[in-house]
Amino acid sequence: MTAPVIELRNVQKAFVAPGGERVPVLDIDAFTLGVGEQCALEGQSGSGKSTLLHVISGIMRPDAGSVCVGGHDISRFDEARRDRVRADTLGLVFQQFNLLPGFTALENVLVAMSFGSARPDRKRAADLLGAVGLTHRLDHKPAELSIGQQQRVAVARALANQPRAVLADEPTASIDAAHQQQVIDLLRETCRAEGAALLVVTHAPEVAGQFPRRLKLEDFNRAARGGPRAT
Amino acid sequence: MTLVGIAWRNIRQRLLTSGLTALSLALGVALVVATLVTGRLVNQAFESGSGLGYNMIVGAKGSPLQLVLNSVYFISRPIENIPWAFYQQFLPAAERADGLDGTYAASTKTAVPICMGDYYRSYRVVGTNAAFFDRLTRGDGRPFAFATGKNFRDDDFFGGVLGAAVAANLGLAVGDEFAPTHGADDGAVHDPFIVRGILARTDTPIDRGVFVNMEGFYLQDGHAKPLPEGEAAAPEAALATPAAGHVPLPFNQREVTAILLETASLPGLPAELTAMGLRTAINEGRDGQAALPVAEIRQLLDLFVKPLELLLLLVTALVVLVSAIGILVSMVGSSLERSRDVAIMRALGARRSHVLTTVLIEAILLAVGGGLAGWVLGHALVGAIGPWITTNAGVTASLFSAAPVAEALLVPFLVVLAIVAALLPAIAAYRTDVAKWL
Repeated sequence: MTAPVIELRNVQKAFVAPGGERVPVLDIDAFTLGVGEQCALEGQSGSGKSTLLHVISGIMRPDAGSVCVGGHDISRFDEARRDRVRADTLGLVFQQFNLLPGFTALENVLVAMSFGSARPDRKRAADLLGAVGLTHRLDHKPAELSIGQQQRVAVARALANQPRAVLADEPTASIDAAHQQQVIDLLRETCRAEGAALLVVTHAPEVAGQFPRRLKLEDFNRAARGGPRAT
Repeated sequence: MTLVGIAWRNIRQRLLTSGLTALSLALGVALVVATLVTGRLVNQAFESGSGLGYNMIVGAKGSPLQLVLNSVYFISRPIENIPWAFYQQFLPAAERADGLDGTYAASTKTAVPICMGDYYRSYRVVGTNAAFFDRLTRGDGRPFAFATGKNFRDDDFFGGVLGAAVAANLGLAVGDEFAPTHGADDGAVHDPFIVRGILARTDTPIDRGVFVNMEGFYLQDGHAKPLPEGEAAAPEAALATPAAGHVPLPFNQREVTAILLETASLPGLPAELTAMGLRTAINEGRDGQAALPVAEIRQLLDLFVKPLELLLLLVTALVVLVSAIGILVSMVGSSLERSRDVAIMRALGARRSHVLTTVLIEAILLAVGGGLAGWVLGHALVGAIGPWITTNAGVTASLFSAAPVAEALLVPFLVVLAIVAALLPAIAAYRTDVAKWL
C-alpha cells in the first residue's frame, strides 16, 4: 500500500490568549491525504482551517503529535528543514493569491523554484503558465492581470516544484461566483495533470460538494467542537 | 531566481525610494572622492617642489615658510629684499666684477636670483636671469622645455618667458608685448617686455609665472634702491653686455628678493653636510636666512594641510554615514510593505536565512550602485573644476586624477556600512511571523 502524502496523528495545537489563557485550536486524532487524492475540508470561520494548513505545511509546529509530509515527520524537524520540505513537497494557494507585486507572472513562478532542491527552470515556469492559459502574460505584473489571471498564476506557482500535494486555503473566497468554478476546475485539473494531491480548505459547501472526498473539520477536530479530548 | 535577482527585483519594486537612497549615497561618495582627489593634488602641488634643481632658498630674515611659499609657489608676499652684495657672496670669481670668489661660492653650485613685486594681469612677475631656465629644472628633475620660442638671453633686457597657463589664459604668443604693473594689478604700468618663449606645461606653479629679464626689471620705476646720501652709483654695473640703448642699473642700487641655490659638496664633505654648514652660516649672519624648501613644505603639510584634509575627510565621511543611515531609514520604512512579501517567500519555502540575506544583498546593491555612481560623479566633479585647479594650483586635475588607495577602499567600506545599516531591517525580515501576514 502506498504511504499517504500527508498523515497527521494525535496533533494538538493551542494558542495563548493575551490574558494568558491557553486556547486549543487543533486536536486531531488522525488525518490522511493519499497520493493524488483530492479532498475538500469544510469548516466555519475560526474552526482552525488555516492553522491546520500552517501545521501541515510546517509554517507552525504542533504542540504534540506527528505530521508526516511526503514521508518526513516534520514535527520533529527544525524550522529550516521544515522550510525545505515545504519547498520540495508542497504547493500553496492562498485566499488573496499572495503574488509578489514587483515580480512578473513568470518571476512569481520562478521565485517558488528558488528555495527547494531543484534549480529554477524558466522553461517549466513558462510551460506551467502556458498550461493555465497565460502564455501571453508571462511578463505582466500582478497589477496588470485580472483577478482570474492572478489566481491562475498562483496555481501555476503552487505547482512549480512538482509538489506531492497542493494546499489551497479558501481559494475562492475573494473572487466572484463566475470565477469560483473556473478556479476549482483549474486546481483540480492541473493537480491531476501534475499528479499532485489536492487539499482545499473552504467554508463554501458548493465548493466542497465538488470533491470526491469531503470532510468537515468539526467532525475530526475536537478543538473546533469545543469538546473534551478523548482519552 | 537567485537571491541577487530577488533583491534586485525588490529594489526595482521600490524604485523611487531606492533611487533616492542611492542618489543620496552617490552625492556623499562624490564629495568624498572629490575631497580625496583634490587633497592628493594639493599634496602633489607642494611635493612637486622637491625636484626643482635647487635645494635651498636664501632670502630676507623672517618666516622661512613665507620665503618658500613666495619663491617656489608664487603665493604669499615677499618678506623683504636682500642686498645685491649678499647675492654676490654666492658667485664664483668668474661671475663677479672684482674677480674674487664670494664667501659662499665654494659651497654653491648654482645661484639664481629672483626679484618679485610686479604683476601682469594678476599673475606674478618674476625678474631673473637666463640661468633660471637653463640650469634649474621643472620640479620633477627634467629640464624646462619650450612649447614655442626660447629662453630670453641675459643681454636681452626686455625679453620675457611665460608659463603655459599664463600664455593660454591671456592668449599671448611669442613676439607679443606685455607691460607689468608695479606692486599690484592697478599699480603703475611699467615698460613693455616681449615674449621670447612660452614654456611647455609643467603642472607646477611655474605655469602661472611671468618671467622677465631682471636687467629690464631693475630699470623700471621704483625698482632701483635709493642711494644713501653722498654715495655715488657704482661704476662697474652690468653683468652682461648692455643692450642697445639701455644702461644697466648700478650694482649698489640693486636688491634681490631671493636666491635659489643648488649647493655643492665641499671637498671631503658629503653634499648634505655642506648644505647644513652653509645654512647655519647664512642663518647666523645678519644679511638673510636660508630655508630648505622640501623641509618647509613637509612641515606645512604635516602641520596644516594634512589636518585640514583630515577634517574635510571627516566631514565628508559623516555625509556618507548620513547616506548610510538613509539606507537604514529607507529599508525600515519599507519593512511593513516587505513583511508581506517576506511572508509569501517564507510560505514558498524560503528559509529565514534566505530573507535575511536578500535584505542584506539589497543594501549591498544600493551601496555598490550608489557608491560607483558617486565615484564617477566625484571624478566628473574634479574633471569639471580641473581647469580651474590647473590654473590656480599649477597641477593637472582631470577626470582621471585619482587617489587610488583611498578610492579602492571606499566601496568596500560602503558595503560594510550598508550591511551594518541594513542589519536592523534584515533582522526584522528574519523575524517576520509568516502566519500573521498570510
